[in-house]
Amino acid sequence: MSDVSTVAFSVFIFFFLLVTILGFAAARWRRAEALDHLDEWGLGGRSFGTFIAWFLIGGDLYTAYTFIAVPALLYVGSGIGFFAVPYTIVIYPLIFLFMPRLWSVSHRHGYVTPADFVQGRYDSRPLALAVAFTGILATMPYIALQLVGIEVVLQVMGIGSETANWFVRDLPLFIAFGVLAAYTYASGLRAPALIAFVKDTLIYIVIFVAILYLPTQLGGWDSIFSSVSDNFDAFNTENADAIAAGEAAPKSVIPAPLLHWAYASLALGSALALFMYPHSVTAVLSTRQRSVIRRNAALLPAYSFLLGLLALLGFVAVAAGVAVENPQQAVPQLFENEFPDWFAGVAFAAIAIGALVPAAIMSIAAANLWTRNIYKAYLRRNATPSEEAQQSKWASLLVKFGALAFILLVDVQFALDFQLLGGVWILQTFPAIVVGLYTRWFHRTALLAGWAVGMIYGTWTAWNNPKLGDPGSHFGSPLDPFLSVPWSDTFLPFDTLVYIGFTAFLLNLVVTVVLSAILRALKVPSGVDQTTPADYHADLGDKGVEEELDPYTTTSHP
Amino acid sequence: MTDPRPPRPGTSTRGRWSLICLLLAPAVILPLLVPLYDQEDPVLLGFPFYYWFQLALIPASVVLTAIAYYLAKSADLLDRESHGTRRGEDPR
Repeated sequence: MSDVSTVAFSVFIFFFLLVTILGFAAARWRRAEALDHLDEWGLGGRSFGTFIAWFLIGGDLYTAYTFIAVPALLYVGSGIGFFAVPYTIVIYPLIFLFMPRLWSVSHRHGYVTPADFVQGRYDSRPLALAVAFTGILATMPYIALQLVGIEVVLQVMGIGSETANWFVRDLPLFIAFGVLAAYTYASGLRAPALIAFVKDTLIYIVIFVAILYLPTQLGGWDSIFSSVSDNFDAFNTENADAIAAGEAAPKSVIPAPLLHWAYASLALGSALALFMYPHSVTAVLSTRQRSVIRRNAALLPAYSFLLGLLALLGFVAVAAGVAVENPQQAVPQLFENEFPDWFAGVAFAAIAIGALVPAAIMSIAAANLWTRNIYKAYLRRNATPSEEAQQSKWASLLVKFGALAFILLVDVQFALDFQLLGGVWILQTFPAIVVGLYTRWFHRTALLAGWAVGMIYGTWTAWNNPKLGDPGSHFGSPLDPFLSVPWSDTFLPFDTLVYIGFTAFLLNLVVTVVLSAILRALKVPSGVDQTTPADYHADLGDKGVEEELDPYTTTSHP
Repeated sequence: MTDPRPPRPGTSTRGRWSLICLLLAPAVILPLLVPLYDQEDPVLLGFPFYYWFQLALIPASVVLTAIAYYLAKSADLLDRESHGTRRGEDPR
């Protein structure tokens, strides 16, 4: 606990109040229709060109993930945290190849969510339900990561107390959460859209100052890396016994060879996962033309570079002598130590608001999934627009409470583990969605079985993973020996650590392929495909291509 | 759609798409081959090789993706023309 100056605190509160007012005022911003008709939530009314898409999608990358979660791993000497860089390199060629197809087929048929596409392609309501359910579930820990970001900023500022009572301790977080929930409820997507301007401006200022100013204060990258290296060596010598006993992890600037596959599988797994999340699909589908996606795939890596330098702030914190118990506090603490008070306040506000905006967008996207693919598909087929709006509002609240439950109930060592847990789940929808964009060879029943196997294996393995030096604890690490089974360590001859989500994804694929072959041989009906090959190339201006997708109109499914 | 050429039904874009995949392949594969860059030396501007190599992959992948973008643009156009007249085949 540190004493933060009144100046930093006042600046923070100023920006927090500003965005709160903006959030509520957003309800009146460009108010075209009655608010209980949610035409402007979701994608409606947004037709973004290359520049705005670049700005918005890029701004979305800088969340608590970038400022808090990734640097935390480097701060504790796990060079593995830098996987965020290969992750954000690998992702763009993948988007380049498959996202334009999803754009085309979605705009031809009016699909707004991945579950819509799966329903249309495979004619399988259970499979679409599984995809929708997974999207909602996986979004919760991702939002939890954002809330952790807000929490640590508040802690570093010294708001809240370290008492044992969890309610008192987390009260400031609950207040921030309550404000977020209230204005998202009141204003819908307009709130984060309006706040995003403030958020991106603040974030870019802080990023550039942090990256350019901080290294010069510490003698340049040269001396940062050498002092980090000395620091880690000292730690390893000091804790040699604990490391040998497997109770502590050795620290290193570069990950040990044992972790190569962990590093690569985290990068690839995260890349495959990101664009399966409901909020990312929403962002991609809201572009005006299919070529906007490809152009952005070439432009967006510019952000990866900044992301890499921000990740290295974890090392900068070590070199600057930041000593915090909770590694998530490393970067905020670094800002407090190194920046003048007023600018520390700006930086804290940037991190907190940078977490609030994506949290709001994610919860709305998940709520849309609920309303469109579960409520309307199963519970109330002829719901009125105002009933749908009400459903979405409630669902967005519930998703946020789900995220809060993750923070309170799932005790992870690193905030990053929340995002990776979400990745374990959302990756299981990849075969149905992405492979489905190219071929319909996978059988719908096989896809559902593969999904179930992946979900069960992934959840079970993650749950059984204890933290280092704390046997019996859960969700300790996103890594596990490849294809391990809970009842035996020596069942398979693999001891290479691999991202659980990736192993689960491979299992899922194997089950899907084998069952597809069997079901096809048995000639089990595979349903009617709504789409035609030409749908996957359609572009703006073609016959039947909808310029804007509106999540709240029932589409004209042929 | 403003393309002046007459539609050429059945034009295969398989070659172009293979070329695009070939161009994009290094951007996906290189970052995942950790043993390739898992070393301290040579140091550049204070950054160990491990770090600057990964950062350097970013501009490299931008160049590849940009070239692929222009190739894909023309390949897409051909695909769409051929689909306008002939259905049933699904080239990438």
